[in-house]
Amino acid sequence: MRLLNYTTMAINLVKGQTIDLRKNDKGESFDLSSVTIGLGWDVKQSGGGGFLGKLFGGGEEAEYDLDAIAFLLDKNGRVVDRGRSFQKPNGNTVSLYEGDVIYFNSMRHPSGNIWLTGDNRTGAGDGDDEQIIVKLDSLDPKFDRILFIVAIYQGRKNNQHFGMVDNAFIRAVDNHGKEIAKFSLSGDSTYNGMCSMTFAEVYRKDGTWKFRAIGEPHTTDNFLEILKQY
Amino acid sequence: MAINLQKGQKIDLGLSKMTVGLGWNPNEGTGYDFDLDVSAIMIDENRFVPQDEFFVFYNNVDSPDTAVHHTGDDPSGGNSDGGDDESINVDLTKVDPKIQEILFVVTIHEAQPRRQNFGQVRDSYIRIIDELTGSEVCKYELGEDFSIETAVEFGRLYRRAGAWKFEASGVGYKEDLAFFLSKYFKGQIIK
Repeated sequence: MRLLNYTTMAINLVKGQTIDLRKNDKGESFDLSSVTIGLGWDVKQSGGGGFLGKLFGGGEEAEYDLDAIAFLLDKNGRVVDRGRSFQKPNGNTVSLYEGDVIYFNSMRHPSGNIWLTGDNRTGAGDGDDEQIIVKLDSLDPKFDRILFIVAIYQGRKNNQHFGMVDNAFIRAVDNHGKEIAKFSLSGDSTYNGMCSMTFAEVYRKDGTWKFRAIGEPHTTDNFLEILKQY
Repeated sequence: MAINLQKGQKIDLGLSKMTVGLGWNPNEGTGYDFDLDVSAIMIDENRFVPQDEFFVFYNNVDSPDTAVHHTGDDPSGGNSDGGDDESINVDLTKVDPKIQEILFVVTIHEAQPRRQNFGQVRDSYIRIIDELTGSEVCKYELGEDFSIETAVEFGRLYRRAGAWKFEASGVGYKEDLAFFLSKYFKGQIIK
């Protein structure tokens, strides 16, 4: 009950209502002809929380698997094309394939103008571990807004949340590699117990694209829960 | 004739189109630029900004009703030599009916890390100009009145019996823009 209330409150408090007071360096504007959403985190240290892990998990601790997700929204704020579903040879069902949601099972939009560079399942490597790249100037006019989300894959099942992942961040970088916004997901008590976050959106305004940081955390680890609103 | 405002003074503007102008001189010494900002907070009857776009500042230059327009950020005071460096144009005939008040504030960007206050900035002022005639309606000299402050509530336009009035506040604070905004905005503020 408490958890449910908390979720509702958090959404009401910040949804769509964020004001960013930061300035660009020297008043320069960002080049949003393309934008890269970068997600980075550190590999889980073995032995960290090992006692409980061994006690309950039989020594098999899940890695931290963070995913970057993008929703392409139309003028009415809807994800129109939810792609198709099919069954993989191993029996698993893949849904939302080649639709207007970019995620680990559907990494490239059919238009070729937005794609996920890869699905990193451990956080190995420096810098951005996963990136979503959008060619905003080539995007079909029917897409009015793109929403970016980060989620911990099966975070609930594995008792993981942002508060325990080391050096997790999500950031947006413009066409010239200039950082527009960055949220540190680690070491901030706001993200304790949170398994996903609506990070930011880009939207059309007066013929150009605008960027807005949102930073709204959610308890769910499943972006399909967030997709329900769209 | 310009009125040099007294704190709490109420004036009947008798105008529907005006410009709130902020002027200052660039830092000619060493150290950081002086980056003054003028912002407009549009407030409804519940004393809140009804949606984030009704806060007009350097990162959001137009209100949704197009009544308030910010001409853009000047990060150093170099835009104009002696004139307004940042301006906010107001057309009161276009203001959304739910907006009851427009509050104007002047703040020094990053005043705290840069260790700055209005006393160090030369020839800084905020004023109201009648957009039709170009004449100055009222003016505050910031450096003299707020020498140790970093944020000033200039004044507010408010609806009274179908007409708009202006009340000069002239209250200085050792605060930043987020301080003013957080009084009227329920959402998240990223500093």
